[in-house]
Amino acid sequence: MIDRPPAGNVAISVRNVTKRFGERGGSQEVLALDNISLDINRGEFVCLLGPSGCGKSTLLNIIGGLFPASEGEVLIGDKAVRGPLPREMAFVFQESTLYPWYTVIENFRIAQKFQRIPRSEWNDRAMEALKSVGMASFSKHYPNELSVGMRQRVNLARSICMQTPIIMMDEPFAALDEQTRMVLGEDLSALLAATGKTIVFVTHSLAEAVFLSDRIFVMTARPGRIKEIVRVEEPHPRSPDFMLEPRFSELRNDLYAMLREEIRRAMASLRDPQSGEAA
Amino acid sequence: MRAILLNRGIQALFVLLVIAGWMWATEVRGVSRLFLPPLDSVAASFQRLVSSGAFYEALKVTLSTVAQAYAIAVVSGILIGYLVSRSRFSTAVFEPVISGIFAIPLTLFFPLFILFLGVGVSSKIAYAALYSFFPVCLNTIAGLQSVEPRYIQAARSMGASSLEVFRHVQLPAAFPVLVNGLRVSFLICFAAVLGGEVLMSVEGLGRNISQSAESMNTASMYAWIVFVILTAFVLNMVVTFIENRAKEY
Amino acid sequence: MTPIDATGPSGILSRKALTQDQKVVYTRILVILGVVVFWEIAGRFLINPAFLAPPTHVVRALFTTIFASPEIRYAIWLALVEVTIAYALAVVVGIAIGLAVGITEPGRKAMFPIIVMIWVIPNITLLPLFMVVFGLGPVGKIAYAFSGGIFPIMVNVIAGMRNVNQLYVRGTQSMGGSRLDELRHVVFPNMVPSLFTGLRLGMIVTMLGVIASELYVSANGIGYYTRLYSEVYDPAPLFALILTLAVISITLNELVRLAERRFTRWRR
Repeated sequence: MIDRPPAGNVAISVRNVTKRFGERGGSQEVLALDNISLDINRGEFVCLLGPSGCGKSTLLNIIGGLFPASEGEVLIGDKAVRGPLPREMAFVFQESTLYPWYTVIENFRIAQKFQRIPRSEWNDRAMEALKSVGMASFSKHYPNELSVGMRQRVNLARSICMQTPIIMMDEPFAALDEQTRMVLGEDLSALLAATGKTIVFVTHSLAEAVFLSDRIFVMTARPGRIKEIVRVEEPHPRSPDFMLEPRFSELRNDLYAMLREEIRRAMASLRDPQSGEAA
Repeated sequence: MRAILLNRGIQALFVLLVIAGWMWATEVRGVSRLFLPPLDSVAASFQRLVSSGAFYEALKVTLSTVAQAYAIAVVSGILIGYLVSRSRFSTAVFEPVISGIFAIPLTLFFPLFILFLGVGVSSKIAYAALYSFFPVCLNTIAGLQSVEPRYIQAARSMGASSLEVFRHVQLPAAFPVLVNGLRVSFLICFAAVLGGEVLMSVEGLGRNISQSAESMNTASMYAWIVFVILTAFVLNMVVTFIENRAKEY
Repeated sequence: MTPIDATGPSGILSRKALTQDQKVVYTRILVILGVVVFWEIAGRFLINPAFLAPPTHVVRALFTTIFASPEIRYAIWLALVEVTIAYALAVVVGIAIGLAVGITEPGRKAMFPIIVMIWVIPNITLLPLFMVVFGLGPVGKIAYAFSGGIFPIMVNVIAGMRNVNQLYVRGTQSMGGSRLDELRHVVFPNMVPSLFTGLRLGMIVTMLGVIASELYVSANGIGYYTRLYSEVYDPAPLFALILTLAVISITLNELVRLAERRFTRWRR
C-alpha cells in the first residue's frame, strides 16, 4: 500500500496518523482517520481524493499543524510537526481567507509580517506574486470588490508570495465555476513546473484530481484510510489537451470505480445520526 | 454545565462588588450620607412609600400620561405612515424629512411644550406623543414599503377596495416591522414622559425623583429611583413578551 | 406614479431618470417652504404671538439676541464643550471596558446581559442623582452625559467581538500569526463596524444627556435662558436658541456618520 519514493527526496512524511473526535471512550467518539501513513516527494503534486466526510480536510489540517493528531506524527523533512510551520507550508482554503478589511496589498504585507520577512522585501514579493496570477492591477482593491474567482487567485498569489516549499490547498476551486476552475488548474500546473514546489491538494472532483496530480491518494469513507494510490504519468505543465486523451478517461473511470462503494457507504452513514464530520 | 456556573459566578461577583462598594463607601469611608445614604435608610424610605400608597399614586399619573401619549402616537403614526407610503413618490419625498426630524434631539423642544401647554400633564402627553410618533411612522413606512407590489396588484385585480387591500395584504406583510416599531415607540414614550416629569412637572414618578433631590432627601430619592427602575424592567418584559407573541401570530 | 418609459433611446432615458430624482427633491423643498410660509402666516395672524413666533422674528432674534449676547454664546459654547468632553470620555472608557469584557468568552457571556439590563434603565431618572452628587455645574452634566453615552459604545464593542469568523482565525494561524495578531487583525477589525454604530448612538445619547441636564438646571447655562425666554411675551429668542442648538446637534451627528462611512469602506 505504501508507495515508497527514492529516499532523501521526501518532503512530507505521514506516519501512522490516527485522529479521533469527541470524548475518549464516550458515546460521541468518532474515528476520523485510521492509521494513515504516506510519503510525499519534493516537487510532487499530490491529491487527497475521497467522498465527503472521509477526513481528507482533517488530514490536510493535521499535516499542516493546524490540528493535532490523536496518534502518530508528521515530519516535514526531518522536523516533526507540532504546530503551523508558516515557512514550510502556505495554505489556500476553499473560502478566501483574505481579510476583508484590508486591501489586497495590505493583506500581503500582513502575511509577510507574520512570517517575519523583512519589510523592505514586502512590496516586491507581493507584486511578483500578484503578477504571476495576473492580478497585479488589483493590488489596491478590497476583497469585496473582486469576484470569487479573482479572490481565489489573489489567495493563491498570497501563498506563492510566502515562498514556501509546500503549498496546502483545501478544495480551493470548489466555489468557482467550471471555466475558472480549468484556467486556474492550468495555472497551477504551470506554477508547479516553474517553481518545483510541493503541492498537496484536497478535492472531491475526479477530473480535477486526474488533471492536476502526479499521484492521487484515494481515501475510504469514514474512518479514513488510504484505499489506493494512483499514479498519473504526465509531465507538468499540463495542457487541456491532456483531458482529451483516452488515458484521462480511463483514469477517471478507475477512480470512480474505486470510489463508488466508498461514496455509497459515506451517504449511508450520513443518514445515521452518529455521523457529522468535525473539521 | 461548567460554563453556566462560571457565568453565574461572574455575575454574582459583579453584584456583590457593587453592594460591597456601596457599603464600604458609606460605612468605612464615610462618604457623605447626602450622596450615598446607607442601604437601610433607603430600604426604610422604600417601605414607607409603598405603604403610604405614594408609589401607586405617582405610578397612576405616569402610566396614564404614557397611555394617552402612546395612543396619540400610534394612531397618528400608522395613519401618516400609511398615507405617505401610498405612492413611491410621496415616500421618496417625505420619508427623509421625517427621519431627518427624528435625528434632532427632540428634548430640545421640551421648553416649547411647557410654553404652549403649561407645567401640567398635557405638556408631557404632547411631548411624549411627538417623540414616540416617529418610530411608529417610520416603521409603518418601512413595513409597507417591503410589501411586494405584485401582491397588491393581484388583490386589486380581484376587485379589493383600498381598505381591503390594506387589511388583507399590506398589514400582514408589514406586521413584524410594525410591531417592532410599536415596542420601540412604547419604550421611548415611557422614557419621554419620565423625562418631562423630571425636567418640569407637578406630579408623577419623575417629579417625585426631582422633588426629593431638591429637598435633599436622598434616601427617598434613591427609593423612588429603585421603584422607577423596577417599573421600567417590568414594562420592558411585558412589551417584549407582547411583541414575541404578536410575531408568532 | 407611472414607471419610467424604457423604450426611448438611452439619451432620453437618462434625462428622464434625472428628472424623477429632481422632482422628488423639488417637491420636498416646496413642502418645507410651504410649512415655513404657513408658520409665518400662523405666527403673525392666527396664533397668539406670545406662543408662536413666526420665522422672520426667529431669524431676527437669532442675530439680535443669540449671536449678539456674549453670555448666551458662552452658554452655548459651554454646552458644546460639555458634549465634547463627555463624548471623548465615553468613547475611551466605553471601548476600554468593552474590550476588557469582550475579549474573553466567559466574560462576554456573563457581563453582556448585565450591561444590557442596565442599559434598559431610563437614564433621565438618574439625572437628579447626578446633580445632587456633582452639583449643578458642568461637571455634573458631563458626568451624567458620560454615564448615558458609554452604554451604546460598550454594548456594541462587545457585540462586535462575538461571531468572529473562524475562517480568518485559522487563516491567521496558518500564516504563523500569534494570538495577539489574531486580536489585532481579526477580532478588532471585525468589531469596527459595530463600534461605529455604537459611536453614532453614543453621540446621540451624550447630546441628549447634555441637553437634558442643561434644561434641568435653570440656575445657569442653557436652562437659565430657556426659562428666561419662556417668561417674556416674545418667544422668538427661545425659538432661536432651540434652532441654534438643533443645528449644532445635527452637525455633530453628521460628523460621526461621516467618520463611520470612511472607516467602513471595505464593507461595500
